Amino acid sequence: MKVRFKLNGKFVMLDLPGVERLIDLLRERLDLVGTKEGCGKGECGACTVLLDGKPVCSCLMLASQIAGHEIVTIEGVAADNRYAHILNAFEETGAVQCGYCSPGMIVSAAALLARNRHPSDNEIKRALAGNLCRCTGYSKIIEAVSRAAERVAQERK
Amino acid sequence: MISVLEYLRPEKLDDALHIMGGGEHTPAAGGTDLVLQLRDGRPRKILDLERLGLDFIRNAGDIIEIGSLVTHAAIASNPLIAKSLPVLSRASSLVGSLQIRNRGTVGGNIVNASPCADTVPALLLYDAELVLKSSGGTRTVPLSQFVLGPYRTSLGPGEILHSIICRKAEVSTGWSYIKLGRRQAVNISRMTLATSIFMNGDGKIGSVRISAGSVFPTPSRIPRIERMLVGRTPSQELYRQAANIAADMMIKESGHRWSTPYKKPVLINLLTRALTEAQSKLIAGMVS
Repeated sequence: MKVRFKLNGKFVMLDLPGVERLIDLLRERLDLVGTKEGCGKGECGACTVLLDGKPVCSCLMLASQIAGHEIVTIEGVAADNRYAHILNAFEETGAVQCGYCSPGMIVSAAALLARNRHPSDNEIKRALAGNLCRCTGYSKIIEAVSRAAERVAQERK
Repeated sequence: MISVLEYLRPEKLDDALHIMGGGEHTPAAGGTDLVLQLRDGRPRKILDLERLGLDFIRNAGDIIEIGSLVTHAAIASNPLIAKSLPVLSRASSLVGSLQIRNRGTVGGNIVNASPCADTVPALLLYDAELVLKSSGGTRTVPLSQFVLGPYRTSLGPGEILHSIICRKAEVSTGWSYIKLGRRQAVNISRMTLATSIFMNGDGKIGSVRISAGSVFPTPSRIPRIERMLVGRTPSQELYRQAANIAADMMIKESGHRWSTPYKKPVLINLLTRALTEAQSKLIAGMVS
């Protein structure tokens, strides 16, 4: 089945061999290995990508379902200047320990900051509620997102 | 990895119903439940409903019709639903996580027929009716008769769930929705209670609706205690008395299980709290 979609800003046309999950397509065939598979059941959020700007679990989608849609992975977020503050803030605050949850966290944070420039701590917690971290606890991650939001706000002044 | 033989995404409802008539395809909505089942090797042929225009919310007099493909996120952010079906709005906002709400649909939640489906107790409060379509025509079934048991429904071969028709809440209705679980997000509900209450001018209960998930074998209203409460003066003792009856009904219908020593007092306390909360919302609404 021929599928056309937008991936990290570029149109892509692919011939999909029957059906695979979106995460399998991204990691195994497109070498976009920044997206991680944790639980494979939609509970941990490590596989989060943006579908038309909204965070979704790539382990719960069929690759064929993205036809006609736009997908942004952590690679797309990392290459986007608008989100540089998030990556920097994760480094500075020590929000990364083993790093496995970080791509999903950052993708969820990017979706939040795109729609809400001044999120409260509660809004950050709610936006990241579908992303589990088993190392750091969440306070540094929340601090990182909050710091990134402040910087984005300052820049716009 | 998954192995699916065929994936189809028709753009016309008639085409979809024709394919469904062949009896080989399983309809797919958001996929949040289905993709997990696919990993166990089934089903093998998928018919994706995404392009059929079933993601509508229609306001029509005293009813709201919701297309089966409307996501939980879309329901939770819709102002019309927040006003006229507030319990559904709340239930949808508590499903899984943002990632799940962005894909999971109300139709999928119903058809998957999990005993702990978050939206079903809410929809039962609004006398939800399901519009089912097949190549043979359309039929309408009350939600209360659609779910037959855990993961079992009366969806016929070749049928798809097209839309859900809900009766709007009366404006001055108090309500509550309680979802019990181990944590707040990505939470499989242990027990769900949805209530709405309407008071007469004389301070007595005019009408009350109560539905429960993960209490009986299927999510259901509890008409026996609804009837018992109507015409009575609300009080904690009355609510507790009603909740005790509900707990006895739970044991009678679901059997005495390993979880009963936990669930019985929890149901009594939560239902008392749910009714109290609905009533307090009503009083707060009257003041403002």
